[in-house]
Amino acid sequence: MPVYSFYIFDRHAECIYKRRWLPRPTSIVGKSSRATDAQAGPTGLGQTVNASDDDAKLVFGTVFSLRNMVRKLGGEEDNFVSYSTSQYKLHYYETPTNIKFVMLTDLKSPSMRIALQQIYINLFVEYVVKNPLSPIEHPGGVGVNNELFEESLEQFVCWLAPFC
Amino acid sequence: MRIINKAGGLIYQREFQPGLRKLSTNDYLVLAGTFHGVHAITRTITPKLPLAPPSTSPAVSSPGNTAPATSGYSYPNPGVPTSGLEFLETDKFRLTCFQTLTGTKFLLFTDPLTGSVDTIMNKIYELYADYVMKNPFYQLEMPVRCEAFDRHLGAWLRGRT
Repeated sequence: MPVYSFYIFDRHAECIYKRRWLPRPTSIVGKSSRATDAQAGPTGLGQTVNASDDDAKLVFGTVFSLRNMVRKLGGEEDNFVSYSTSQYKLHYYETPTNIKFVMLTDLKSPSMRIALQQIYINLFVEYVVKNPLSPIEHPGGVGVNNELFEESLEQFVCWLAPFC
Repeated sequence: MRIINKAGGLIYQREFQPGLRKLSTNDYLVLAGTFHGVHAITRTITPKLPLAPPSTSPAVSSPGNTAPATSGYSYPNPGVPTSGLEFLETDKFRLTCFQTLTGTKFLLFTDPLTGSVDTIMNKIYELYADYVMKNPFYQLEMPVRCEAFDRHLGAWLRGRT
């Protein structure tokens, strides 16, 4: 059950954490820049790529519009759990404080709602929120830059997806 | 159930069972347009896997040797054309989207537990082809106002439940 990528967005629609488990060239924009990007060094694992990548924005736009759509149709307390296309599946979890957790996996994966909740409770709250040095807001896309969080996320996903 | 034409306009909308909240026609039009856009985005954010020998998964090969593989990539499901959103699950309902080859989208909102949505979808498409597309007075891309379609759709769905 491969996990392709994972994003966290804060309540200001800022992508505060982003991680891909398989390097991939971007779809439309900046094909050339991507190539140099990939050659620049061992990207992929253990790195949060900030800026210069529109994927996160697209993901956020999708998730945000779908969430609003679902709320309009199903009532305020309704929430969307996941959607799938012919190629991948996107899981979504939102905390009461409007922090959004998004994970892209392959089609065969079961519902990841619990897993995302676990990431929030056991990893994000423990290592990021309770860290006195970590900023509360993330203006300018500094993002979560926390070794402990990244390491344990890595472990958690490896445990979920035994391919890596 | 809704039908969205290939430009993102809502051309048919009908409710069979109350359950979802009622919205104004304007809201439905806005939602249809939004969905059209989101559908296109979901297709572009499909993860692309770099073409590399299967043994060198990035976890193993991250120090260095992934660079040559960046020229080509494959989709997670090779052979299947990339599509936009197909199923959406929420706490209260399940949305199934079926896009025809010409770009018309059929949106079906069902209970999360309803089975065999595909058969319903195929039947709806069949009825649409029979009673809407073959109707000589129907103008393409315009709202569907075909009584026969309404009637047959209603009758068929009633027969199923």
